[in-house]
Amino acid sequence: MAEEEEVMNQTPDAQRPTFPVEVSAEDTTSNVKHRTNIIWRIIGFIVAGIFLYAGAIKALDPVQFASDIDNYKILPWPISVALAFYLPWLEILCGIALVVRVLFRGALSILIALIVVFTLSTVAAKARGLDITCGCFGHASQNWSFPSHLATNLAILAGLLALWFQSSSKS
Amino acid sequence: MRSSLVRQVLILAALALAPGVGGAVYFRHKISWRSSILPSELATVDQAHAWGGNVIWVDARPDDEFASDHVPGAISLNEDRWNELLPEFLAAWSPGKRIVVYCSSLSCNASREVARRLRKEAQLPDVFVLEGGWEAWLKKKK
Repeated sequence: MAEEEEVMNQTPDAQRPTFPVEVSAEDTTSNVKHRTNIIWRIIGFIVAGIFLYAGAIKALDPVQFASDIDNYKILPWPISVALAFYLPWLEILCGIALVVRVLFRGALSILIALIVVFTLSTVAAKARGLDITCGCFGHASQNWSFPSHLATNLAILAGLLALWFQSSSKS
Repeated sequence: MRSSLVRQVLILAALALAPGVGGAVYFRHKISWRSSILPSELATVDQAHAWGGNVIWVDARPDDEFASDHVPGAISLNEDRWNELLPEFLAAWSPGKRIVVYCSSLSCNASREVARRLRKEAQLPDVFVLEGGWEAWLKKKK
């Protein structure tokens, strides 16, 4: 026992296993950061995908989208037409910006504003007793009920806000 | 920080203008900026009367309104019971007939939607929306 203690005392510090343990802790932290980044990227891709899909469907059928906007009975017809041509492309460009991470926060701001306006318009339409199709995803969303429409909008808004706060904390 | 955000928003908003204008040019014959219905898809009561027996009247109003009164010979086809009512309508339709869809008034959307679905989903030609709807028909009747 005393011999063992003596051998231990003679062992130089450099041979003790302290350094590899420190490296392993750093690795763990960087792994966690890496995984978190991947998760945020996935959330970004999902949100971007939703807007790319929604924008593409509406850009291909602006006539139907103009009619959907008009159903809300908020805007005059010529403005509904102008928005039907413009908004889908704005959604598509913002979706692309989220994917390639260029003009990222600008895209997030626009999409947050859009989804808030869409949600408020839907609630207002419901409150006024209008039975409307939301038009958010073209024909795919034609038979959506009001709760599912609202839940989808709120889930997208949550995703956008999460991305916004995450990008704020980074910058 | 804030000015950079505003700049980003303005850049994206400006970039979306170009394809938006392109779309407006591309679809210029498919949509009217003045009215939600193309003039060629509208029919007046007088026009529909002039077509005589070559017309199928389609009532796009809810069932209770159809039950209380409707254009003589009209077939009920509303969006609430679309799948149920469409086969009945198709059984009455024959090629060459003009379809005139109406709802309550000038401001209602139901006739426009039913007409759109008849064109797109049922692939039917010669589908018109009655200008002024049921109210216009009642006025002419008086």
